Amino acid sequence: MTISGKSAISRRTFLRGAGACGAVVRVGLPALEAMFNASGSAWAAGSRTEPVETRFVFWFNGNGIPEKYWIPRRTGADFEITPCLQPLATLRDDIHIITGLDSPAARVPQPGNSHYPSMSAVLTGQPFTGRGAGGPSLDQVIARRIGGESRFRSLQIGVCQESFGESIQRNMSWADRDRPLPPEMLPHRLFDRLFGVQETSWVNRQKSILDAVREDTEAVQKRLGRSDQARLDEYLTSVRDLERSIAGLPPEYRVVVERPPEGGDLKDWPRIARLQSDLLVHALASRQTRVASAMLSKCQGLSRFPWLGHTAQRHHEYTHGQVETPRGMRILRDICRWHVEEFAYLVTRLKRTPEGDATLLDRTCLLMVHEHAEANAHKNNNLAVIVAGGAGGLKTGLHTRTTGTLGDLYWTLADEVMRAQAGGFPTAERKLGFVV
Amino acid sequence: MAAPQASINAPDFASKVFPVLQRAQCALCHNENGVASLTRLQFPRENAATEEIERFGVRLAALVDTARPEESPLVRKPTNRTPHTGGERIRRGSPDEQALLEWARYLAASPRAMSAASVPVPKEPPVVRRLTHTQYNHTVADLLGDQTRPADAFPKEDFVHGFTNQAEGQGIAPLLAESYNRAAERLAAAAFRGGDARGLLGSRPASAADAACRDQFLHRFGRRAFRRPLTEAERRRYAALHEAEAGRTGDFHRGAQLVVEAMLQSPSFLFRLEEGAGARGGQYRVASRLSYFLWDTMPDEALFKLAETGRLGTSAEIRAAAVGMLADPRARNAMEEFLAQWLRFDRLRGSIRDRRLYPEFTAELVEAMTEETRRLFDHLAWQDRNFLEFFTAGYTFLSSSLARLYNLPAPAEEFGLVPLSAGGARAGILGHASFLTLTSKPVDTSPTERGLFVREHLLCQMVPPPPPGVDTRLPPLTEEKPMTTRERLGVHLSNEACAGCHRLVDPIGFGFESFDAIGRLRSHELVTIQPTLDEIRRKVKTQPSEYRLGIDARGFVQGIEGAAFAGPRELGRILAANPACQRCIVKQLFRWATGKQETGADRPAIDAAFERFRASQFRFRELIIAIATSPAFLGDSL
Repeated sequence: MTISGKSAISRRTFLRGAGACGAVVRVGLPALEAMFNASGSAWAAGSRTEPVETRFVFWFNGNGIPEKYWIPRRTGADFEITPCLQPLATLRDDIHIITGLDSPAARVPQPGNSHYPSMSAVLTGQPFTGRGAGGPSLDQVIARRIGGESRFRSLQIGVCQESFGESIQRNMSWADRDRPLPPEMLPHRLFDRLFGVQETSWVNRQKSILDAVREDTEAVQKRLGRSDQARLDEYLTSVRDLERSIAGLPPEYRVVVERPPEGGDLKDWPRIARLQSDLLVHALASRQTRVASAMLSKCQGLSRFPWLGHTAQRHHEYTHGQVETPRGMRILRDICRWHVEEFAYLVTRLKRTPEGDATLLDRTCLLMVHEHAEANAHKNNNLAVIVAGGAGGLKTGLHTRTTGTLGDLYWTLADEVMRAQAGGFPTAERKLGFVV
Repeated sequence: MAAPQASINAPDFASKVFPVLQRAQCALCHNENGVASLTRLQFPRENAATEEIERFGVRLAALVDTARPEESPLVRKPTNRTPHTGGERIRRGSPDEQALLEWARYLAASPRAMSAASVPVPKEPPVVRRLTHTQYNHTVADLLGDQTRPADAFPKEDFVHGFTNQAEGQGIAPLLAESYNRAAERLAAAAFRGGDARGLLGSRPASAADAACRDQFLHRFGRRAFRRPLTEAERRRYAALHEAEAGRTGDFHRGAQLVVEAMLQSPSFLFRLEEGAGARGGQYRVASRLSYFLWDTMPDEALFKLAETGRLGTSAEIRAAAVGMLADPRARNAMEEFLAQWLRFDRLRGSIRDRRLYPEFTAELVEAMTEETRRLFDHLAWQDRNFLEFFTAGYTFLSSSLARLYNLPAPAEEFGLVPLSAGGARAGILGHASFLTLTSKPVDTSPTERGLFVREHLLCQMVPPPPPGVDTRLPPLTEEKPMTTRERLGVHLSNEACAGCHRLVDPIGFGFESFDAIGRLRSHELVTIQPTLDEIRRKVKTQPSEYRLGIDARGFVQGIEGAAFAGPRELGRILAANPACQRCIVKQLFRWATGKQETGADRPAIDAAFERFRASQFRFRELIIAIATSPAFLGDSL
């Protein structure tokens, strides 16, 4: 199949442009026209037509929400935009607010303060182990099955860094029980990972080094006991992922991507959040990954909010101190509205990125969650989440109040939307019929 | 003793009786690190195998009265028929109590069970340890002369069980593997910039293919990088790497650089796996464990030589090495890292205070707070004083900013030793602003936090977490009843569902209420009551009102006899005299040294170290040596 007489290029073909004087260069636009078939909606080349890939973004905000400012009272297509949802007002047709979900895994007897069980439950549907999450997180469950062909099986990105420091608080993606995948929180380093271009000789050199490291690790493993072997298995997996990302250079990408500066105010969270979202959009558009997690703030997060005028305390303290007062509730409202603002920024950028005959947003499924519903009460039921995008026939422009668990929703998204064939999800009993 | 009755069948403990105990959640307090850690009832680890659970069931015979099984503590305690700190965990007259009673009867009638009551607990498998970030920095400094501290840019280490060096938390996620990869590239390039400035090769290569020079380099550098001699397979692997790269570039040094870059990513460098080849494998491991514990870095040449020549084999040799190492200034820095984590200085550095209420709370003051505690620790540890003075010291080390905070005269020199008045409120660490601040909130104190800190960090008693789904809201402050923090927390103690655990922590914190959220003495608590939205609308009240309320600073430690106290001085004396606190110091250092939580199998090692600590009049240096020479720390090499 050809368009305008040119022979269709298989999407795996790419061209590399070396940067002048070492300054790293961005290359290429994701969808060269020639890669699409006549209707512009699928990949050409080869003997079969692959459907354009869908993407999944799992977005997390630390702590809970002020329900009275967040959850719409009306359901259906006519739901009202509440103060916290205000930044999504112009995107209401691209989102689906789902409320009423339960997180039963957070209520099973388990170690940890009220945030650790909620965190583990929201991400994995399993209880906190005492060290980390009880199983793989939703994004990893999906990535295991659909991430095999991309340069990066999945990406983990973060913004706000302030945290009490425990593993379960710092990480939202878990490859498996007790195996955190820390997020990249510095934009310039994320850029280097995605778009840093290297000479072929460097790539070959890395290959021989990592081959030696792998052989070394396998030899060492033979001498160890079982739990130590598992530890080295994790290292082997990381080394293999590293090899793959080094060997799989970014495809021809015609959009100019500026490398973010290394300096600047590293605590200007809105600025960092936007840089990270921009890079995430580029990563998804250039198909370097299909699955990403975005951790805006940490579990039990401790951010301060100078741009909102709230610096007397940190986020977690605001969720408990004086929330019965009007002022306390307004502070929470402002914070949660900011979360939605950053989410809306990402959704907007995806919407403005064309891909074939549609937009990148049309092919993406985003899910935004918090640790809790009502923040002060550490509430684990009646949770409020936002689904966004058009992948897999997602229904949007609605607020649905439901019963059922987070696991039900996660299973639905994994299997019905992303076609990951997960076959289930912890705490899932059924799929939700109103999602697609 | 009655003869075994043939009619009593052995009840299936694991499936019939153990679940009763699981439902009652006994293990929350009855574990090595629980509030009931000094009782005779210790549960197996989570996810223990059935055989281990069965053995535990048999060991319960120690709690059974053979003559009158129904009077056994095993039955009377959980039902609170005999006073039980944990309350009534199993309802009296319930089927669960019946199941427990049947088990007690079975044990009473079975002589085999009685003698099996002291079955030893099986050993836990070791878990390999990765270099911590500070260890990585120090190691590359010693190995390559690199002072750039590359690990400062690695993804941060997570706290697990209170420390960042626990093996459980030391996986290598892809982001960290990438960091190691980038750092190795930079370090190797820097090492050979401008030739072999660091003398890593050992001789000048005659050509790119100089095999003798190559072998010498691999032997010298490999031994230091892997902290043991290379195996033959490793030597071949890295020789091949060198040959290929030196051949490709025509440059011996480029080949060496590649080898360095690869070795810095080998698990034999990143993990502490010094068994390796040769008869001396065990002694190389000893060298490494000693140097990383006592110096936070790789062994030096002297230590390597001892291992190489077989002089790190006997306890006397190891002890002599440890004693020598403690005299080195590196030991001070290594132990300061332990202190900073044991007392969670990171939380102190991360705290913020309401600027209007606490204008003097600056970064400089916070640093002074950590320095005060650090100096007390160093004074006791390295001047070989009785370490229990950590809780009772009638002196401290003040800067002028701290002196102002404590309302004391300015010291003659910054951080000089300053006596505290005998009738004063402060003594030891419990009177330090560091402890008092890191356990407070931006506006108020938190007695619960302070009590929890004392329980977990100083008594090694883990308090169970709140039940899932519990409403943690405190009663609001109203005009009708302005309440102190202590009074507001009263709901923890009046509500039976909360009191079981909160009785263990809140009353400890109450004893510190004379100190505000930055550790300053206060005579009253300032309480501000905001108007509600309703009051503002109805114009009944538009401004906050302030109250000065009197302070009740009486506290007590549940579970310790005669442990009523008010203030740091009195609690310090109580803790210093308390075996759980004394043992906790041993346990904390043990966890730090071994990178894991201690298990039942480690009990003899902890006991032995505690004995030596006590016999030496609690000299901290002696405790370090006791642990450093303990087989539990050194592994199976002895």
